[in-house]
Order: sequence, then C-alpha cells, then structure tokens
Amino acid sequence: MVTYLIRRVLFQGVPVLLGFTFLVFLMINFAPGDPVTHLRGVPDLDPRVIEDRKAQLGLDRPLIVRYFDWLVELLQGNLGRSFDSARRPVANLIQERLPVTILLSVSSIIIGWGIGIPVGIYSARRQYHLSDYTITFLAFVGVSVPNFFFGMLLLYIFALILNVLPAGGYFGPGEEFTILRMLSYLIMPAFTLGLASIASITRYMRSSLLEVIRQDYLRTARAKGLRERVVIYKHALRNALIPILTLMGFMVPIIFSGAVITEQVFSWPGLGRMAIDATHQRNYPLMMGITLMFGVLTFLGNVVADVAYAIADPRIRYD
Amino acid sequence: MKKLVLFLLIMALVLPATAAIAQEEPVEGGTFHRGMVISPRGMFNPILYTETYDNEVIVAVYDGLVTINRELQPVPQIAESWEFSDDGLSLTFHLREGVKFHDGVEVTARDVEYTYKTILHPHYTGVRYGTFAVIKGAEAYHDGEVDYVEGIEVIDDYTIRFTTERIHAPLLAEFTYGILPSHILEDVPVAELEAHEFNQNPIGAGPFRFVEFRPDRYVVLEGFDDYYQEGPYLDRMVYHVIDDEARPVYLRQGRIDFVGISSEQIPMVEQLDFVDVFDFEAMGYSYICFNLRQERFDDKRIRQAVAYGYDRQTVVDIILDGYSKVANAPMPTVSWAYTDEGINEYPYNPDRSIELMQEAGWERGADGVWEKDDMRMEFEFIYTEATRAQEQMMMLFQQNMEDIGFKVHLRPMEFSAAVDRIDAREFDAFTLGWGLGVDPDPHGIWHSTSVWNDAGWVNERSDELIEKGRTTVDQDERAEIYAEWQRLMNEELPNVFFTYTVNVAAMNERVQGVDRDPGPQGLFWSEILNQLWIPAERQ
Repeated sequence: MVTYLIRRVLFQGVPVLLGFTFLVFLMINFAPGDPVTHLRGVPDLDPRVIEDRKAQLGLDRPLIVRYFDWLVELLQGNLGRSFDSARRPVANLIQERLPVTILLSVSSIIIGWGIGIPVGIYSARRQYHLSDYTITFLAFVGVSVPNFFFGMLLLYIFALILNVLPAGGYFGPGEEFTILRMLSYLIMPAFTLGLASIASITRYMRSSLLEVIRQDYLRTARAKGLRERVVIYKHALRNALIPILTLMGFMVPIIFSGAVITEQVFSWPGLGRMAIDATHQRNYPLMMGITLMFGVLTFLGNVVADVAYAIADPRIRYD
Repeated sequence: MKKLVLFLLIMALVLPATAAIAQEEPVEGGTFHRGMVISPRGMFNPILYTETYDNEVIVAVYDGLVTINRELQPVPQIAESWEFSDDGLSLTFHLREGVKFHDGVEVTARDVEYTYKTILHPHYTGVRYGTFAVIKGAEAYHDGEVDYVEGIEVIDDYTIRFTTERIHAPLLAEFTYGILPSHILEDVPVAELEAHEFNQNPIGAGPFRFVEFRPDRYVVLEGFDDYYQEGPYLDRMVYHVIDDEARPVYLRQGRIDFVGISSEQIPMVEQLDFVDVFDFEAMGYSYICFNLRQERFDDKRIRQAVAYGYDRQTVVDIILDGYSKVANAPMPTVSWAYTDEGINEYPYNPDRSIELMQEAGWERGADGVWEKDDMRMEFEFIYTEATRAQEQMMMLFQQNMEDIGFKVHLRPMEFSAAVDRIDAREFDAFTLGWGLGVDPDPHGIWHSTSVWNDAGWVNERSDELIEKGRTTVDQDERAEIYAEWQRLMNEELPNVFFTYTVNVAAMNERVQGVDRDPGPQGLFWSEILNQLWIPAERQ
C-alpha cells in the first residue's frame, strides 16, 4: 500500500499536476484581456503607465519563459505576488481564505453523505413504495435546482421573512466565537452546497443497494434465517458502499466548483469568491495558485477514494 | 452648523412635539455599519490604490490638502488656505498647525512634499504620474535626469509651493490625495512601496484611525480623538463586505446602516420604514461608440440618425424606472461646466432619422437596410454588463434600429474580452460608460491624442477648446469655453451619448449628520465623515 501511494504520487500525481498547470497557464493567458485592462477606468492615464505596468508585472516576456519562472518559484515554495494593486503574496491570500472554504466544503460533504446514505438505504428498502417515489422525486429536484437559486431561496425564507439566520458573511468584527454562532453562519451555505450531493448520493446509494440485494449471497443469508436488519446492514451495506466511495474522488472538484457560487451568494469569505474575482481581473499568479490548489485537492481526493476502496473491498489490492 | 443648531433650538421652544424627534446636539459614540459589495484589496495608500472600494476606506483614514465639497469646489482640509501667483503658474498652500497623524506626529510641508514627489518618482508604480506631470521639472525627475523636482518647494514647515510649466487649471482639484507620513515611509525605496505592509496598516491624518482589515469580510476604523476639526463623533466605522443581492436583507436586519443599492432593489428597501432611500446623479455617463475609422460611420448625420432613432427617454422612464437622465453631451448636469443652452436633445423621432439617412445619400436595400455604394448599415454591437436592465436596453436598441433600417447584431462580452477588441480597434460599435473626476477638463478622454479615443475622432476645434479650457484660470471663463465645446460635441456626436449615471443609496435613519439632499459625491464624503453621529438611544 505504501509503495503504491509513493508510486501514485510521484509517477502519476506530479506529471499530471505539471501538465495541468501548464495547460491552465496557457488557457488563462490566451483568454482575451490582460491584468492591466482595468486601468481603462482611469481617464487621465499616461499611455506609458500601461507599458510600465506590464513590464513591472513581467508581462513583456515570452509566455514559456514566464511559465518556467513560475515553476522555478513554485519549487522554492513561492507562489508569487498577486497582480492586483495591493501586490500581496498569493500564498497569504490563499492562506487567509482556505480554512473557511474547507470548513464549508467539509460540512457540505458531511451533510451530503450523512443524509444521502441513510435516505438512499431507506429508499432502496422501500422500493416502489410511495415514500421511495417521493424521495426519488425530491432527489431529482435536488439535482436539478441550481445552487444559487436554492441559496437565494434559503436567504429569502430564513433571513428576510423569518429573520432567524444572518444573511451571509462569517463572523463580524468583535463577534465572539461560539459553536452556535458558527453554525448560524454555516448552516445555510453548507446546505446549499450539500443539496446536490444529498440528492445524487441518495440515488447512487439506492441503486447500488438494490443491485447488491439481488445477489445470491444475500439470499443465502436470508435463507440462513438472519433478520432483515442484519442482512442489510451487516452483509449488503458494505458491498453497496464500494461504488459510493469512488464517487468521493469525483465529488471533490464538484464541491469546490459549487463552493465558488455558494460563497458568492452568502458572502462567504473563502477561495471561491476570490477565484471569480481573480478570473475577471486576469490576475494570473492568483489564478495559478488557486487552480494548483484545487488540482492538488482533487488529486488527493482521488487517492483517498482509492485507499478507501481497498479498505472496503478485500478483493482490491494495490501491490 | 451653528445656524442649524439655533434654528432647532427655536423649533424646540415653539414646537415641543417635534423637538422630541429632532436631536439638536451631536453626541459621541456608536458604530456606523456600511456595506460594500466588493472587498477592498488592502491597498490603503492614496497614491497607489486603483479601486474605489479601497478609496472608501482611504478617504476616512487620510486627509488631503484640500477636499471637494458638494458643489464640486475645493475647500480647505489640511491646507487652511492657498493662493495662485499673479502669472497663474505657482500655487502656494498654507498648512494648519497642529494637525496630527494617527501616531501623534505632526503633519508638515515635508509630508506633503513626500506624497507628491513620490508620485513623480522614476520608480513609482501607480497610475497618477500623468496627472502631475505638468509640475515644473517633473519630467526630468521622472526620467531620472535629476534628483529633485524644481516645481515643488518647501518654504517652511507649514508652507509649500507648486509651480507648473504652464497654466493648468484642473490641477487645484487634484490636490485631494491623502497626505502620507514621510517619517514612516521616506526610507522605503519607492519601487518597494506597493508591497510594503504600511498599505495594510495605514496611518493618515483623517478623522478615522485604521484598526483592522479582514479581506472579503470587513474593515474596522475607530474615531481619531486628536482630529483637528469637529468630531468625529462616531466610536467606530465598520465596512462589511456583503453580497449585492442580499443588500435589502442586511438593511432589514439592521446589520448595516448604509449601502448603495440597485434600482431594482428600491421597492424592497422602501418597505422598510426605518430606512431612507436617496438618489443622486454621479459624475459619469454612458455612451454608444461607433468606429469612425469605418467610412460608413464617419458622417455625423449617421450618428444623429441613431440618436433620433433610439428611444432613450423610454429607457430612462421604463427600464431604469426614472433613475437616470438622458445625456446629449459628455458633461454631467451636476458639473459647474454643464450647459443646456443650444443643446439639441435629439427627442425620439424615427422619421427624422430616415430623413437624415436619405440626406446622407443612403438608400434602403431589398430587406429595408440602408445601403450606399458597397457599404451596408449592418453591424455588430458589443456590450458588457448582463444585468436585466442592460439586456432590455439592448433589445430595445436592436428593435429601434431595425425600425430605422439599421441591422444590429448584439454581442454580449465579458469586460476584459470586450476591451481587447476595442483596444485592437476591431469593433463596429460598443457601449460603455465613463466615471469622471471633479474637474470638467475632458482632455483625458476627448483630446484627439488621448489613449482613450476609441472612436478615432479628430476635430481641430474640439482640441482647441480643450486646450483653452485647461489653460484658463477663471472658472466662469472656463465654463463658457466648455459650453461651446458641449454644443460642438452635441452637434458632431462623436459618440451617441446615452444616459447620465444616477446612483441610489439606502441609509438607516438613525444615522445623523448626513446630507439629505446629496450632491454628486453621494451621501457623505471626506468633508463630512467627521460630522456623522448616532443618537444615544439608538447606538
């Protein structure tokens, strides 16, 4: 297992991330516009200022040179400085926002899995009952409703009409940290972000369990006279969960891209808001830093899923 | 203020019932919560910032030599007076004594010198060199030929003189930049100033002291006790970063007192009986720019036909709910240089458009679109904002144009992508807007040599008037020059002018000392931040 992990990271992860960053670098540079475009708002601008600014940001050098410069800096643990007026280090900008984004993402994963799995099991066991149909219907609604719309709906009900939850943000100045207050900020965005996961995991869990239930060994288990509860939870569930674990790897990027929108709606001070802004501003170093980080997280998510897979299914060996 | 207090005292005697509502004396204390929809970057440096959200903090933390009042005239701030020399080339500022930075050090002419000399420095990384390049010796210093600026002289601790190469009338209104503390910054190499941590921990001489900045979350300022003018009465002023769609909710929850809102949010906010809604014309306008390098647009009658043919009044009345004004020249109505004398309003008149096209020698083709020689009035139209109102305006434009034989292909684009096309001059027509400075000098946008001459319009008379306007000192004379210039622009229509910008803001009524009839700068600006207060029972 350990050699597998080393192999995976060194021979798969590093080349994939290298190729990925290079592609991203090319794409963002080929996008129309550049980081000095916003100077257009300055009427009295001396035309030399634009050229000077480009030179200060190193934009006057060839693309390939700039990529390798970025890479060399990266190997020294340096993500460069942001291109916006404040020129703060990219690493600081990410560091300030990463914890709240992780808090939001992890909460939404817990909500997604914590609700999706039991509801899926319930739905499978009540196949073709009214409750199964209801859950299936709701799950489709959940998958179809766009994040931002559901978020606005929650805001409208709980903040505007009922006035029981804050309308977004995360801890104002001088507010004391309590778990309860944290939850009051967290609950709406986490549910908004978790909604699609709840829905899709419910569906996957249901079909996966139904698949397993038809297997011979479960008939054997029932024939032995085991109670249905034991049959499902002890024998069927573990096998039914295996395909769900693979989902985990896929879901990391989905959750992060969902976070981009959810954070916007709830003024959540995380990476998502910054990512959108960096894209509009053509803030290359910041975009590179953020995508690199999402890339690493996605890769790690996949590795974790593979490991979980091996743990859950004894037939799978990586050596 | 004194007069107002007296008036209120009399009112209090005569009408005891109303006196209970009108609090006459400002009281100290309380926190004023403001909303902003985009986080500041953390560039709280008056000579280096580029975004307005940073500036909203900067105007509270720093004071300049002068500031601009609601009539757009310079009024004293750190400078208590100033005078021009007889030849109009030298401007001498007399500083107040005893003005203190937030760290207790006194502001002197050295700090003023540092602030403006840094803008001219060869290694300066900001965008404001162009504004002050007219100062004598600025160019030689900026190019690194000499290490002093001839036109900046410190006479004594409280007197500083700026001398220009030629008379440059717009300059006085530019001395609003916050004064930087030279005792902290003078040893920092200018090239490294933009990455210096001072910019995230600013120290100025304004009414509010900087306390804390959390990116994407909030900025906290505290009233500065040693401020040299009245107030500040507020204990704290906090800027909260909030989502634009959630603004009415924050207002309703009382979590913010003030925020600019969109016209679509007005009905929702007006339902809140403790929140007042204000609207005011800001310094800016939107326009439609045709690429005059294409022969088919290079005839003023074509542009006039568009102006007559686009029902701009309906846009203002229906789509923008009256929160705008039709523009016919590039000068905001709130500027002292504005005129409506001799200005054609181009009222909606499609028949007139068709006449103009015929006069210009165009004929309608088989599909009703104008044609002349090998030219055809069918073009791509770029716009950048995808708000609902903008979409409606564009649909109406397309429809209106079709009615007068112009075939328009709408092309919504992201801002950066659009600007790329515009800068490469690869466009037929587009619409964008300008935010303007306080001085009406249109040189930066409208002189034929300007970098922003996107239309490619060259007109000798216009250049002449622009030059004359900025080299004339007397304001009334300047106003006359700009009036003639506006009439020229109105006739030639190098752009088809569209609407003036109107801003809408919402304010919790508990906040006092606010300008209830806002001028172009909004509800409060540098001049009155120190006067805001909150009644004790509502703090």
